[in-house]
Amino acid sequence: MTDAAVPTARPHRASLLADDARMKRRKAAETRFRLYGLSAIAVSLATLAIMLWTIFSDGVSAFYQAKLTFPVTLSSDLLDPMGNGNRDEMVKVTTVGYNKLLTRAFEAELAAKGIDTGELSNKDVNALISKDAAGDLRAMVLANPAVLDTTITAKMLAAGRIDGYLKGRVTMQTAERDGQISPEQLQFADRLIDAGILSSQWNWDFFTNPDASDQRPEAAGLGVAILGSLYLMILVAVMCVPVGVAASIYLEEFAPKNRWTDLIEVNISNLAAVPSIVYGILGLAIFINFMGFPQSSTLVGALVISLMVLPTIIIATRASIRAVPPSIRDAALGVGASKMQMVVHHVLPLAAPGILTGTILGLATALGETAPLLLIGMVAFVDNYPSAPVEGFLDPATALPVQVYGWAQRADPAFIERSSGAIIVLLAFLVVMNVAAIILRRKFERRW
Amino acid sequence: MDDMRIVERTVNTKASKISAKGVQVHYGATHALKDVDVEILENTVTAFIGPSGCGKSTFLRCLNRMNDTIPSCRVDGSITLDGENIYDPRVDPVRLRARVGMVFQKPNPFPKSIYDNVAYGPKIHGLARTKAELDEIVETSLRKAALWNEAKDRLASPGTGLSGGQQQRLCIARAIATSPEVLLMDEPCSALDPIATAQVEELIDELRASFSVVIVTHSMQQAARVSQKTAFFHLGNLVEYGETGQVFTTPQDPRTEAYITGRIG
Repeated sequence: MTDAAVPTARPHRASLLADDARMKRRKAAETRFRLYGLSAIAVSLATLAIMLWTIFSDGVSAFYQAKLTFPVTLSSDLLDPMGNGNRDEMVKVTTVGYNKLLTRAFEAELAAKGIDTGELSNKDVNALISKDAAGDLRAMVLANPAVLDTTITAKMLAAGRIDGYLKGRVTMQTAERDGQISPEQLQFADRLIDAGILSSQWNWDFFTNPDASDQRPEAAGLGVAILGSLYLMILVAVMCVPVGVAASIYLEEFAPKNRWTDLIEVNISNLAAVPSIVYGILGLAIFINFMGFPQSSTLVGALVISLMVLPTIIIATRASIRAVPPSIRDAALGVGASKMQMVVHHVLPLAAPGILTGTILGLATALGETAPLLLIGMVAFVDNYPSAPVEGFLDPATALPVQVYGWAQRADPAFIERSSGAIIVLLAFLVVMNVAAIILRRKFERRW
Repeated sequence: MDDMRIVERTVNTKASKISAKGVQVHYGATHALKDVDVEILENTVTAFIGPSGCGKSTFLRCLNRMNDTIPSCRVDGSITLDGENIYDPRVDPVRLRARVGMVFQKPNPFPKSIYDNVAYGPKIHGLARTKAELDEIVETSLRKAALWNEAKDRLASPGTGLSGGQQQRLCIARAIATSPEVLLMDEPCSALDPIATAQVEELIDELRASFSVVIVTHSMQQAARVSQKTAFFHLGNLVEYGETGQVFTTPQDPRTEAYITGRIG
C-alpha cells in the first residue's frame, strides 16, 4: 500500500451539539413512532374504560333489590288444614293459599301502621308484592314446617316495577303509560318507603335464584347459570387437560417429524381458528342427534367446548414444552434416563407453569363462550337446578354468557339491568381465573 | 506448553475399551464423519482435537448413542464396548448411557438440589437400595468431582445456584455417580474461566484411575496437558491418531502439523 492511497482531506465534521437536517428527520420519525404506540394504548384503555363504565352503570343495581318487610303469621288453619304437620298434606296448599295469607298480612300491617292507601283497591295494593313472593314463602314453609303458627318477619320481593321505581328506571311519567303500574301506586310506594316497609337491599337471590319468567324480572337470578358454568369448567378441565397434555407431549417429544405430523400440526392450528358456532353444529349433529345425549345438558356443552379449547391448550402446552432448554433433555438422557423418565422427571415440571397458564386461559375463553351452547340448547329457559354431579352433568342447565344473551333479548328493561349484572359476575370469574394463572405461573416458575 | 512433559507421557495400558471401525455418520445429505477407526484404551484420557465442524463432537456423541436423539442422523460402521456392538438392535441406549457417561459443553445441572442432581442417575438405575447407600454414592461422587468440600453444607440448595466451574464439576459428579466405565466430555471447559478449567483438568487426570475419559477440546494446550492419546479430526476425517506426545511433537500428517502450528483451523 502506498501513501498516496491514504485520503488526506479530512471529511467535514459537524458539531455534536447541533443536529443536521437528516438527524432532525430521524428524531421526528422516532417521536412519531412512539406516539403511534402511545395513542394505540390510549385508545384501548379508553375503550376498556367505556365498556366497564357502561356495564357497571347498568349492572350494579342488579345486586340490589326492592323488598317489602312485614310480619306474617303462618297460621296452620290455612297452611296445614289437616293440622298434623304432615308435609305430604301441606303440599296440597298451593301458592294461591299462601298468596291469600301474604296479602292479608300485608293489609293488616298497613292498617296497623296507619298507611293511607288512597283510592287504590286492595288488588292494586297487593300488586306491589312480587308474584314470586307466595311461591318463596311456600318453599320456605315446606322446607321447615316448624315455622307454622309462628310470626316471622317476611322479606318479600317487591314487584319489578316498584324495584325499577327505587332504581330510577320507572318514573311517574312512564307509569302513566304503563299497564302494570299507576302513578298512584308509586305514590303509595313512597309512603311505604317512609314507613320503612319498602327498602332496597343487598340481593343474594341474584346469585342463587334460577331464571324467572318475563313477568317476574325481580325474581330472576344466576343460580342455574353459575352452577352450569361451574359444571362446564369442571368437565372441560377433566376432559381437556389430560388429552391436551398427552397429545402435546407425544407430538413434541416422541412423534417422528414427517409429513403426517406436519399435517397434524397444521390441522391443530386450523382447528384453533374454526369459528365456535361450527363446533356448536358439530356438537348438535354428533352428540345430540347421533349419540343421543340429553339436550341442554352440561355434558354436551362441555364436550363441544372441549373440542373447541383443545387446540388452544395443545398449542400452549407445546410451546411451553419447547421452551424447556434442550440441555436439560441432554443431561437427563446423558445419565441414562429413558425418554419417558426424561419427560416426566424433567420436561414436565419445567413446562408446568406454562401448561397451567395455557390451560387456565383456555378455560377462561371456554367460560365466556356462547355460540356453540346456543346450538345445543343450553339457551333454554331452565328454572330447575341441575342435581349434584355426576347425574347433574346430564341435567339441563344454562351458562353465564348464555344467560346474558337470554336476558338481553327480553322486552322488560329490568332484564337489561340483570343482563349487565350477569356480565359483571362473568367478568369477575374471568378476572379470578386470570389472576390465578398469573399467581400459579409466578409460584411454579423455575429458572435454569 | 510443556513439551518435555508431553514426550514423557506414557500410556500404561494396551487394553481396548471402545473400538470404532469404519464409522460413517450422515446428517440427512451431509456426510459428517468419513470412515473413522479409533481404539479408546482403558484408564486413558483420549483427546479429540480439530477445527470447528470437523466431526469430533459428532463422533463423541456416537459413543453413547446421543446422536439417536437427532432424527436425521444415521450411523454406519461398528462401535463396540468391551466387544459388544453398541448399535446392535438389542442394545437399549438407556443401559449403554449408564456405562458411558457424558459431560456437556455448557454446564447443565437440573434445576433441582445438588443432592438430587447427583442422586438422579443412581436412583433411576436402581444402584442404591437404601437412603444411606444413596447418601454414600452422592458423597463419593462429589468427592471425586472435587466438589464435596464446597457443597457438603448446601446439598439441599439448587444446583443452578452454583458458579459455572462448580456447576460443571456437579455435572461431572452426576455423570460419575452411575459408575460409568467411560466418561465422554464435550468441551467441558469452554464455558469456564482459567481457574475452573485448571480444577477440571486436574480432576480429569484423577478420574483416569477409574475410567476411560474421552475429551473433545478446542484448546490444544488442554489436549496436551490432560491426554495420553490424541486424535486429530479434519473435515470429517480422522487424520491422525496416536500418543499425545508423538502427535504434538512429530506429527505424521502435514495437516496435523499445519493445525498444531496454527496454519489451519
